[in-house]
Amino acid sequence: MTESDPPESPAASEAAGRPAPQGDTQRLYFHGSGPTLFGIHIVNVLLTLLTLGVYYFWGKIRVRRYLMNQTELLGDRFAFHGTGKELLRGWLKAALVFGIPLLLLGTLPPFLEAGPGVQSLAALALYCLVQVFIPVAMVGARRYRLSRTSWRGIRFSFRGPAVEFLRIFIVGSLLSLLTLGLYYPFFEAQRYRFMTVNAYFGTRRFGFDGRSQDLLVLYLLAVLVAGVSVLVTSVVVAAIAAVLAAAASALSPDSPLHALPVYVLLFPLFLPTLGAVWAWFSAKKLRYFWDHTVFGDARFRSTVTGRALFRLRLVNLVLLVLTLGLAWPWVTVRSTRFAFRYLTLAGPLDLETIQQEAQEATAMGEGLSGFLDVGFDLG
Amino acid sequence: MMGSDGAVRAPRTEWEGAYLDGRTPTRQRATIRLMPSGLEILTERGARFFWPYAQIRQTQGFYAGEPVRLERGAELSEAVLVGSPAFLAELHAVAPEPGARFHHPARRRHRVPLTILAAIAVVGIVAALYRWGIPALAELAAARVPVAWEEGLGEAALGELAPPERRCTDPAGARALDTLVVALTRPLGATPYTFRVYVLDAPPVNAFALPGGHVVLLRGLVERVRTPEELAGVLAHELQHVLRRHALRALFRHASTGLLIAALAGDPTGAVTYGLEAARTLGALQYTREAEEEADLGGARLLLAAGLDPRGLVSFLEELGEGGTDPPGVLTYLSTHPSHADRIARLRAITAERPTTPVAPVDAEGWQAIRTMCARAG
Repeated sequence: MTESDPPESPAASEAAGRPAPQGDTQRLYFHGSGPTLFGIHIVNVLLTLLTLGVYYFWGKIRVRRYLMNQTELLGDRFAFHGTGKELLRGWLKAALVFGIPLLLLGTLPPFLEAGPGVQSLAALALYCLVQVFIPVAMVGARRYRLSRTSWRGIRFSFRGPAVEFLRIFIVGSLLSLLTLGLYYPFFEAQRYRFMTVNAYFGTRRFGFDGRSQDLLVLYLLAVLVAGVSVLVTSVVVAAIAAVLAAAASALSPDSPLHALPVYVLLFPLFLPTLGAVWAWFSAKKLRYFWDHTVFGDARFRSTVTGRALFRLRLVNLVLLVLTLGLAWPWVTVRSTRFAFRYLTLAGPLDLETIQQEAQEATAMGEGLSGFLDVGFDLG
Repeated sequence: MMGSDGAVRAPRTEWEGAYLDGRTPTRQRATIRLMPSGLEILTERGARFFWPYAQIRQTQGFYAGEPVRLERGAELSEAVLVGSPAFLAELHAVAPEPGARFHHPARRRHRVPLTILAAIAVVGIVAALYRWGIPALAELAAARVPVAWEEGLGEAALGELAPPERRCTDPAGARALDTLVVALTRPLGATPYTFRVYVLDAPPVNAFALPGGHVVLLRGLVERVRTPEELAGVLAHELQHVLRRHALRALFRHASTGLLIAALAGDPTGAVTYGLEAARTLGALQYTREAEEEADLGGARLLLAAGLDPRGLVSFLEELGEGGTDPPGVLTYLSTHPSHADRIARLRAITAERPTTPVAPVDAEGWQAIRTMCARAG
């Protein structure tokens, strides 16, 4: 892989390690390797095929466990405690509660040759169900993942009620629509805040002190930059198109070329410029969110850049497409290293004041989360 | 303590590690002693524990770089951590029997060959599933779909592919086509399907069958066939696709190929899936060569049973195969109904035994009406 290895962790050489002096800047380190993850993955695929899909859940747990076990903070590894059995059970439950109604609403009306009224009603019900389903699922997945993750024997947890997130989601979607997107930055900040301030490590809560206005400014700036870049690219494309059309009609007056809008063929020219704007914006947003996330008196800090993000995504996509998905383990390792390379946690951690306070492991959302673990990757 | 008998190296029983109490995130230094029946743990704060092996589970230390982590207790457990994987090897030496369920670092060297074996097995299984498993499954599943569902599916597809306003509806032509279908389906006796033939006002030389009994002929094909026998041949072939549920089989094949791809890619929601999905759709819903041969064979038999001259099917295929002066794009029928020399040869062999006095599929007047169906409507 082209990405350089992360700096060697101070504690890696000192296996028995004491906690590093507090008040320092801490980092996460990822030690996982692509070939090892590939070995895990290919055995998972084999067993999933042999068991007609049942092993899928156990395989997923093995991968997640490996990724967590290879992640280090202050000389200690994270641990993942989920099991394949609970994931399968959760998936079955969620399939029963959500999957079957979704499937029925989606496929039955056309099959039964229902009238257009019934069909649009079913489509509306389907839409509403999915709208409810997504936020509940996101909360469920986060609750499940955090409750099964630990560091130094202390569990993380998520205590945000799904109902509250559902409210944020519905109000946010409606207001974004009514204000033609102007409200969207507020909606996004609320979602991030909810996901962050309800996360705990033992008794210690995470915090977020970002302001929606800042995000709004960032969005407006991005729209402006994107608009200018589209304008500039359009002028260039139009010029090229005019030259091509003139050349085509000069060569053969009956050519079908000038019947066809040539700029359609030049459309891909927009991708690099818009891609660059998108990467710049994503990196800026990512930095904003991390820089305003706190853990007690310690604050996260991200130094990720748009250029690096663009390169990561592009190389990952090329790797995946060229190998028909077989490079997935390397892509995962690359992405995890990337995420940690630009992230630090500065300030006193005061670990002594933290106590174990795990939340009920089989929460109501667990069935759903298990199911959503399959489809959504939003954790 | 275990004694050394000189020939065997005495196992190292004392290890430096860490102890986590499961209540605070404080890492206590600890000395861990390997005993024949369990671990003795002495923490830097002076606490001493004895953990019988039967109560311990290993949760980390299976892969390079991971410390060995042993836990004891239920959900939120205490744990001891030892940095070196050699600890595990020594545990096996000190307590071979109770220690057998813990990972042995020596096993790691089998991983590379195992990974290669697994990769070969995956390739083999996927290839076999694609070649045999999926077609067999698709056939099995297609046979169990109720005809009513098939009709619903066909109806929906018909609305998309051949909307009513683009159909040629000249009544004389439609009557003649019905006569032809009745003649062709008489030898079948009672079938669960109601066959209907439509002519779509479109230039390509093509025809297709939808689940549930709809057969669509394109104007290009109707104008291109030279004799009623050739048209009867094409129809007999398409009716076989309906009767053998080839479209359903193709649908099931398509769906299960999707599942297979999902199993191969680690994350079925990822961007790859979209790329692969596109590739899959391109090859989808084309009948397999086997399905085409089945339809040929069955079509020829049907023509014979109806007392018609089956050579029309052959001559039409031959004529298309010769191509000649046609502008490109007209030969679509061949691209969806691949013609091979051996396909024609096989058909010739079947049609060798033909009725001495074949019946005419339609009378001259009906034939004329079919040929000009779209012209009259326009």
